[in-house]
Amino acid sequence: MILVCGIPSETPLRMVISHLESLGVPFLVFNQRQFATSAMWFEIDQQEIRGQLRIGGETHALSDIHSVYSRLMDDRLLPELAGEAPESPLRNHCRSLHDTLMRWMEIAPELVINRCAPMASNSSKPYQNQLIREQGFLTPETLITNEPALVREFRAKNRRVIYKSISALRSIVEEMSDEDEDRLERIRHCPTQFQVFVEGTNVRVHTIGGEVFATAVRSAATDYRYAARQAGEPAELREVTLSPDLSEQCLRLARTLRLEFAGIDLKITPDDEVYCFEVNPCPAFSYYEANTDQPISAAVARYLAKGNSSGAHSAYP
Amino acid sequence: MWLVLCSSTDVPALWAYQGLRQLGFGPLELVLTDGLARASHWEHRLDARGIHLNFTLADGRVIDATRIRGAVNRVLFPSTIPEWAVSPDRDYVQAELHAFYLSWLNSLPGVVLNRPTATGLCGSWLHASEWALRAGRAGLTTRRYQQAAQDSPEHGGVPPVADASLRRVIAFDGQVFGAPVPRGVANGCIKLAQDVETALLGLDFQVDPGGEWNFCDASPCPDLSLGGMPLLRSVAQVLQEARP
Repeated sequence: MILVCGIPSETPLRMVISHLESLGVPFLVFNQRQFATSAMWFEIDQQEIRGQLRIGGETHALSDIHSVYSRLMDDRLLPELAGEAPESPLRNHCRSLHDTLMRWMEIAPELVINRCAPMASNSSKPYQNQLIREQGFLTPETLITNEPALVREFRAKNRRVIYKSISALRSIVEEMSDEDEDRLERIRHCPTQFQVFVEGTNVRVHTIGGEVFATAVRSAATDYRYAARQAGEPAELREVTLSPDLSEQCLRLARTLRLEFAGIDLKITPDDEVYCFEVNPCPAFSYYEANTDQPISAAVARYLAKGNSSGAHSAYP
Repeated sequence: MWLVLCSSTDVPALWAYQGLRQLGFGPLELVLTDGLARASHWEHRLDARGIHLNFTLADGRVIDATRIRGAVNRVLFPSTIPEWAVSPDRDYVQAELHAFYLSWLNSLPGVVLNRPTATGLCGSWLHASEWALRAGRAGLTTRRYQQAAQDSPEHGGVPPVADASLRRVIAFDGQVFGAPVPRGVANGCIKLAQDVETALLGLDFQVDPGGEWNFCDASPCPDLSLGGMPLLRSVAQVLQEARP
């Protein structure tokens, strides 16, 4: 049995569910929005994990679940909780249910895409960059500081400089301008990240179950996710094939970070140098699949269907 | 130079700082998180030459990573966020500071006790369920852990332990410090510390009337005074072995 967690109408989840249906494999969907009719418990006794998950009117033994795909959204923001008091029984049940589910996923011996602890490296981009560098990738020259003079010096030396957040909170990557220099005093309250702009082609690499899907992105925008806003036209995406060495390097990076499914952001320079910006542990692959027809969701479904029998996944360490 | 990084209320860390100085270990700098919060200058670089760190504390001390040989790291969370910061800016600053601390702490050279991980700034902070599973796999006797999506008080974790039956130890460098421990338990403590890649790990046990040691909890930020001077001598030796 495969367990799929999240909101089934969300595009990436919907695509994976569609492929699971095509494969004809048994699967179960935990729809977060129906938390009120769901329940769960588990216990650990002498290293054995036992428990049950009830969804709707049906109860399932956790031992029957051999793989999990999770795209849980922040349960505190579910529409069903709008208007609920902070400690209301419904809100407490929702939090407790999600906590129980996530705690079990963290230690379950089954294939889990992805566990929370490995995903946490993405909560600090410069920390993750240190791990990325250990795998032989170049990372952009970076300065994190609360000293305006250092930023001015960094920009004067490197000409094109971008700034962006370093935590998991998303920010729009912007190129630093003269106007930005005028407000640099604000960084004194919070060290801020500045990076040398790297010329080249953006490549998003999805790794799943030993497969590699690479998408080249052509855009004049600094942050291609916001291409229409920054450059006036949407980004162009096309499938590309990486060299065997680079493919293996990407797979090794994902394995090192213990991510079953990863979205690796590369930039390949005109001199064929490969920079890695970050590894996304919960990739919204549907954007890339919709624009290139790359069968990423099918690969996720196949990997889930193999579950423990694939032998490829990193079981609970 | 070695650092002791801790908050001004971290009594065990302050005890360790004084104890290490009494042992003649140094040069040793006490860096308080309160001082880090008011640091006037932060410079953290990642470039082709490597990873660099330089900061100036409010009292004027300059800490340059090139001079650091190691650290006792007890940073639990980033420095205090100014009162005037309100949500959503406050949440943003909090996340950014945590990300920043994780990176610069990880970049410290030499032996760092403990190195940060993605789950904790001073080592692995695991949930009770994960400690229970890992402790069992390390050969320690564990009590049954239960968790359910119910509000009833009988569910959730493991039952509390009476103080009288609680024993606390510290696993470090292949030894166990603190309360005298049966050999099999000591081996399990050392194995668990290795498994979670945490050099200095505190472990709590409940000893039942029959003398059975049952694992209760673990922490990468234990009360160092439990290990007394023998622990500090061992810490000093491990830190000393780090090359500049």
